[in-house]
Amino acid sequence: MPVISRLTAGRAVRSGVIFGYIFGVAIASSAISYARFYKTAAQRDALAAAYGANKATSALFGPAPQLQTVAGFTVFKISMTLMLLGAVWGLLTSTRLLRGEEDNGRWELLLAGQTTRRGAVVQALRGLGAGVVTLWVLTGLITVLTGLDTSVDIAAGRALYFALAMVATAVIFLAVGALTSQLAATRRQAAAYAAWFLGVSYAVRLVADAGLGLHGLIWASPFGWVEELRPLTAPQPLALVPIAALTAVLLAAAVYLAGIRDVGAGIVPDRASSRPQRRLAGGPTALAVRLARPAVMGWWVAIAVSGLLFGLIARSAGGTISGSSVQVLTRLGARGNGTDAVLGVCFLALAVLVAFAAAGQITAARSEESAGRLDHLLTRPVSRWRWLGGWLLVTVVVLLASGVIAGVFAWAGAASQHAGVSLPALAEAGVNLVPPAITIAGAGVLAFGVWPRSTSIVLYALLAWSLLVVVIGGVGATSHWVLDTSVFHQMASAPAVPPHWEANGVMAAIGVTGALIGGIAFKRRDLRGA
Amino acid sequence: MAAMAIRTEGLTKRYGDVAALDHLDLEVAPGEVVGYLGPNGAGKTTTIRLLLGLISPTEGRGEIFGLDCQRQPVEAHRRLAFVPGEANLWPSLTGAETLRLLGRAWGSRGSWGSRGSRGSRGSRGQVDEAYRDELVARFDLDPAKKVRAYSKGNRQKVILIAALMTRADLLVLDEPTSGLDPLMEQAFRGCVREARDRGQTVFLSSHILSEVEALCDRVGILRQGKLVELGTLAEMRHLSALTVEATFAGVVPDLSGVPGVSSVQADGRVVRCQVRGPVAPLLKVLAAADVAELLSREPSLEELFLAQYGAGD
Repeated sequence: MPVISRLTAGRAVRSGVIFGYIFGVAIASSAISYARFYKTAAQRDALAAAYGANKATSALFGPAPQLQTVAGFTVFKISMTLMLLGAVWGLLTSTRLLRGEEDNGRWELLLAGQTTRRGAVVQALRGLGAGVVTLWVLTGLITVLTGLDTSVDIAAGRALYFALAMVATAVIFLAVGALTSQLAATRRQAAAYAAWFLGVSYAVRLVADAGLGLHGLIWASPFGWVEELRPLTAPQPLALVPIAALTAVLLAAAVYLAGIRDVGAGIVPDRASSRPQRRLAGGPTALAVRLARPAVMGWWVAIAVSGLLFGLIARSAGGTISGSSVQVLTRLGARGNGTDAVLGVCFLALAVLVAFAAAGQITAARSEESAGRLDHLLTRPVSRWRWLGGWLLVTVVVLLASGVIAGVFAWAGAASQHAGVSLPALAEAGVNLVPPAITIAGAGVLAFGVWPRSTSIVLYALLAWSLLVVVIGGVGATSHWVLDTSVFHQMASAPAVPPHWEANGVMAAIGVTGALIGGIAFKRRDLRGA
Repeated sequence: MAAMAIRTEGLTKRYGDVAALDHLDLEVAPGEVVGYLGPNGAGKTTTIRLLLGLISPTEGRGEIFGLDCQRQPVEAHRRLAFVPGEANLWPSLTGAETLRLLGRAWGSRGSWGSRGSRGSRGSRGQVDEAYRDELVARFDLDPAKKVRAYSKGNRQKVILIAALMTRADLLVLDEPTSGLDPLMEQAFRGCVREARDRGQTVFLSSHILSEVEALCDRVGILRQGKLVELGTLAEMRHLSALTVEATFAGVVPDLSGVPGVSSVQADGRVVRCQVRGPVAPLLKVLAAADVAELLSREPSLEELFLAQYGAGD
C-alpha cells in the first residue's frame, strides 16, 4: 500500500473503530431496550399510535413506520442521530486528513516523494476508505450480534444493510470534505463549507418530513436518500444510486481540483491582506472575540435556521398529537398543549447545537496552546487567569446569545403560523438551553487544566454520551442513574414546562466548579504543545 | 546593589529520569549581552521556558530583575520581551494587527482597552509606535499582509519587531534569526547593538556561532543540561589552544615532541598544530628551522564549541 494511503488509513481506521463502537452500542442499546421495555403487543400498538403520525418527531427523527417491531423502532429511534454523527465524522475526518495535513506543512513533505498532487489525494482517499470500511464492519458486526438475541431477531443480511445505511452519510460527507479541502485555503474554512452543506441538507430533509405536503423534497437531500434506503422496514436499495453517484462526482471533482491548484492554496481565493481591525486586536479578550467570530457566526446561523424551522412546523405538528402521543412526549419530558409539547422536544435539538458551540470554544482555547500561539501572550504581562477568564467570558456571552437567538427565531417561526406562543416564554426556553452548555464547557476546562491533550476527546465524548443517553432513554428504557449522567436529561423541556431553575443552577454551578478547578490546574501546570 | 537581569540557583527540570536542565547557576548583569550555546536538546529552550514561567522547575529557582519567575511572572514579563524560534502566529491576523495585539498585551500594564500614548515609551510602558514603524521599514515587512500569506522569514520578522519595539529591559531571544536572509540578519545585529548601547540586556540562544561571536560579551555553553563553560570569549580563548601554521623553505622539523604542542598535521612543507600554554618551546624549534611564513590565530567560537563537544559528538 502506498505510504500516503497507509498514513491516512492508520488515522482514519483508529477514528473509525471509536465511532464504529459508538454506532454499534447505540444500535444495540436501542434495540435491546425496546425489546425489554415494550414486551406486549398492546404496549407496542400504543407506541405506534403515538409516534406513527407525529409530524414533530417525524421532522426531527424521520418517519416512524412499523413501530410494533424491534427493527422498525430501532430505525426510528437511532438512525437520524447516527446519520448526523456519521456526517460530522466524515467531514471532520476528511478535512483533517486532507486540508489539515496541508495546513501543517506535512503534505509538502509527502508530495516531495514519487507522487503527484492528484496521486496523493487518490492515495489519501483510499486511506479514508479504509476508515469507512472499519466503521461499517464494526457497526455491522455489533448489529449482527445484537440481532442474534431472540428478543431482537434481526437477520444478518438485514443488519449489515442497516449498518450500511447508517454509514452512508459518513461516506457522502467524507467526499464533501474532500472537495471542500480543495476549495478552501484552510482546514477550518473547509470544515465550515462542508458544515454549511450538512446544515442545508438536514434542513431540507426536516421540511420534507414535517408533514407540510413537501415530501418530494426528500430527494433533494442526501439525508433524504439515506432515509429512503428504508433499512429494516421496507428496503429500497435503489436509493443507493444517488448516494453513490454524488459521492463519485464529489471525489472525482476533488481529485481534479487537486491537480489544478497550488499546494497551500484553495480554489476559492483567500485574501492575502486586509484592512486592519484595530478594535479586535486590542488585547487577549478582544483576540478571543476575533478568533471565535467565524465559528460562532456559523453556530448562530445554524441555531437561528433550526429555531425558525421548528417554529414553523410546531403548530401543524402539534395539531396531530392525540392522547397516546401526549403520553409518549411526556416521557420525553414534554407537557402542555400540542404546540408547546412539540417545541419542548425540538428545543432538545437546539440544546445540542448550543452545547456543540460551547465545546468548540473550549477546543479552540486548547488549540491556542497546542499550536504555541499562547506563548506570545503569556510571555507578556498577561496572567494565565486573565487569558482564560477572557476566553470563558466570551464563551458565556456566546452561549447566552445562542439561547436568545434560538428562542427568538423559534418564536418568529411559530408566530408566523399563529401558533399562540409568547416571545417571553420562548426567550426563556432559549435561555434554558444555556446551563447544559455551561456544564459541558466547565467539564472541558477541567480537562484542559488537568489533561490538556485530551480536551477535545473528553468534550466530544461527553457530548456524544449525553446525546445518546437522552435519545435512547427517551422511551424510559434506560436506568435513572444512566439518564442522570446526560446533561440534556437534566434540562426541562421548556416551553412545554417551565424551566427548572434550581436544576439549571446546579448544572451551571457544576460547570463553574469544573472551570475553577481546571483554571487552577492550568495556572500550575506546564504549557504543553500538541 | 541592582538586581541581576537573570539569576538562577540550581535551576533543574526533569522529565521522568531525563534531566533536561541540571542545576543551572547563572547570573546575567544588566546591560550584558550573553550568548547561550549548545547542540539540539542541550536544554537551551528549557532554560528559557523556565525563566519565562511557561514551565515549572523540578528544583531550584530563577529570577528576572529580582522577580521570581514562577511566583511573579506578570511582573517579570513587564521587564522583558521574548522572541521564540518558531513564529506560530494567528494566521487570520495581518502583520499590523499582530503587532498591535502584542504591543497592547505588553504595554497596557493590566488595564486592557486603555488608549496608549502615541509617543515614546512612557510611564505606562507603552510601545513606541514611531520606533515600531521604523523597525517595520528596517526589516522590510509588509504589515498589511495576513500572517498566513507570510513566508517563514517574514513571520519571524513580525515577532522580532514585536519584541524589539518594546525596548524592554531584557530581550530573551531563542534562535531569533531562523529563516531570516543575510540582509535581515545584519539588520537584526544592528538592532541588538543599539539595544546594548541603550543599556538593554540581551540573552541570546543561537546556533549561529558567528552571530554570538559578533554580538555577545559573554558566552555560556550547555552540554546535556549542564553549563560547562561560561565566560568572555577572551577568557575562553586564553584557556584554549592557539592555532599555529608554519610554512618551511627547507627541512620540515618534527614538532610532535615539543612541549605544549598537539594535533600536528603536515601537508608538504606546511605544518599546522595547536599550542597550549607557553609558546617559547615551539618558537625555539621554529627559530632553528628555515621558516618561510608563520601564521598564528586564536580559536574561533566554532572551534571552542567543537572542542567542547568534539567534532564527532
